[in-house]
Amino acid sequence: MSTATVPNIATKTKVIQARNVSKVFTRDAFQVKALDNVSIEIAGGDFVALMGPSGSGKTTLLNMIAAIDRPTAGELLVLGQNIFTFSDSQSAKWRNEHIGYVFQTFNLIPVLTAFENVELPLLLTKLNSQQRRDHVMTALKLVGLEDRVHHLPKQLSGGQEQRVAIARAIVSDPTLLLADEPTGDLDSNSATEVLEILRRLNQDFHKTVIMVTHDPHAASYAHVTRHLEKGMLLPA
Amino acid sequence: MTLTSFVRKNAFRNLRRSILTVLSIGFSLLLLTLMMAIWRNFYMEKGSEESALRLVTRHKVSLVFSMPSYYREKIRAIPGVAVVVPGNWFGGVYKDDKSGNFFAQFGTDPDEFFKVYKEWKIPDDQITAWQRDRAGAVVDSELAKKYGWKIGQRIIITGTIFPTNLELNIRGLFTAPQPTQAVYFNQKYVEEAVPFMKGQQGFYTILASSAADVPKVNRAVDDTFRNSPQPTKTETEKAFQLGFLAMLGNVKAFILSICGAVVFAILLVSANTMAMSIRERTREVAVLKTLGFTRGTVLGLFVGEAVVLALIGGIGGSVVAYLIGMGAAKAGGFAGALHVKVATMAVAWAAAAFMGFFSALVPSYTASRLGIVDGLRHIG
Repeated sequence: MSTATVPNIATKTKVIQARNVSKVFTRDAFQVKALDNVSIEIAGGDFVALMGPSGSGKTTLLNMIAAIDRPTAGELLVLGQNIFTFSDSQSAKWRNEHIGYVFQTFNLIPVLTAFENVELPLLLTKLNSQQRRDHVMTALKLVGLEDRVHHLPKQLSGGQEQRVAIARAIVSDPTLLLADEPTGDLDSNSATEVLEILRRLNQDFHKTVIMVTHDPHAASYAHVTRHLEKGMLLPA
Repeated sequence: MTLTSFVRKNAFRNLRRSILTVLSIGFSLLLLTLMMAIWRNFYMEKGSEESALRLVTRHKVSLVFSMPSYYREKIRAIPGVAVVVPGNWFGGVYKDDKSGNFFAQFGTDPDEFFKVYKEWKIPDDQITAWQRDRAGAVVDSELAKKYGWKIGQRIIITGTIFPTNLELNIRGLFTAPQPTQAVYFNQKYVEEAVPFMKGQQGFYTILASSAADVPKVNRAVDDTFRNSPQPTKTETEKAFQLGFLAMLGNVKAFILSICGAVVFAILLVSANTMAMSIRERTREVAVLKTLGFTRGTVLGLFVGEAVVLALIGGIGGSVVAYLIGMGAAKAGGFAGALHVKVATMAVAWAAAAFMGFFSALVPSYTASRLGIVDGLRHIG
């Protein structure tokens, strides 16, 4: 078990506390242990990279933190709350408020413009139209896409799509930013742009970033790198 | 953007499929609206106030059998009877026997005919002209417009049931609330030409003095002739008209079966579209749920899409049905039953919305229950 420590971060409270978390998937007659007794603590403001080979449990752990998957055993406190006691609708509301999730394949809605894609999570809030517009424009400016607001995903490059996805993840000002191989589908220039944005969000806006990656270059942007193998977290 | 506009955008994301779905729903709703209009006009509409006061008496066995002319005076003597006029179906042919040239021809009494049909509009001088001319006739103005007939013109109707031809002088044009597509002439003309018709009438139309008198007169007329050689059957004008319809067969079952088939077809079309659409977006559902959309919201989004498509089809179909009904109403006769009222259209819209809702319920519910992890793994 290790605590990631980052200099110049104001908040040092533990935002994630995983204790002996295990996850077993049952596929037909087979049982696959995706996570095996994982314990980890991450402090607010950290930028943590989770590395490991395919099938090592990185994404599973990320999904647990985002409350989109549940462990078979163990306890996981996120922002001080045991998120697995939540109902489905409570989990959804909690994710909307506290989690920004960036996918490897961007996962933008093809019929919506960049602006509308970013606005999507805000439709679930009580913000009015003008407030939503302000939030969306702020997020798009932050990723450098304020001039692409009316573009559909198919009219954007891969790197731009991922930046829109990051804007969508941060538009509701979440505490945690989770990224599942955010540079996996990008060329090196675009990947660098995306990683710079993540670094800026961490350093300037004090977002806690947890990034799953295979890429050592991407991991170098994180302050702490943790390795998983066969579902087990290797010592720091 | 709002959730509503998000639903709208999703509904038309596959434009070709959405248009085909809307068209198929629209055509089904066109049929459904027309069927509902027929049902309403035949079985639910009470008709005009004057129509509600009218009764029709015919031979108890069948309309084919005639009744003695003296029945008229006996009926007139029944308390509650204001006016009674005879009516005889002539069934002749105008020009040729093509169905486009078919219209009804009735022999009647010009002196009292418009006292029974008070709501029909015709100038008094034209009524007088008809009464004075034994070969005179009054014609529905819509029918006159169809053939370009003018007052004073002579028309010839070839007899098919009776061995005589009518050479009628058009003396008046009347306008009924619902076009009748009919010609009325003096029954004495036929009686003089066809001796065996003298003293015989096909049916009597009775105007009761008040609504309260209608059931009393109804019973009293039939009681009067119960033990006579020609017993009668008296019914309201509406029921009499429906009697003609019943000759076609079980019209109610026919209409209901078409409505049932239409509803079933819409359910299948809409359900199939939504199932395909949702399956294609399995991954998107997972993304939406990751962003914080609850099961209920996801369910609402998909059901909303189906309702939007069904409503657009429903509104389009019912508007076309309305236009068809407008054209048919001008044609008059039984085609007038296709006249679509706004209330019928509203029912069609509600039916479309309900069908959209129910067709999408199962696939939408399944999508809303989708696990996020499974959804994100989906390759589609």
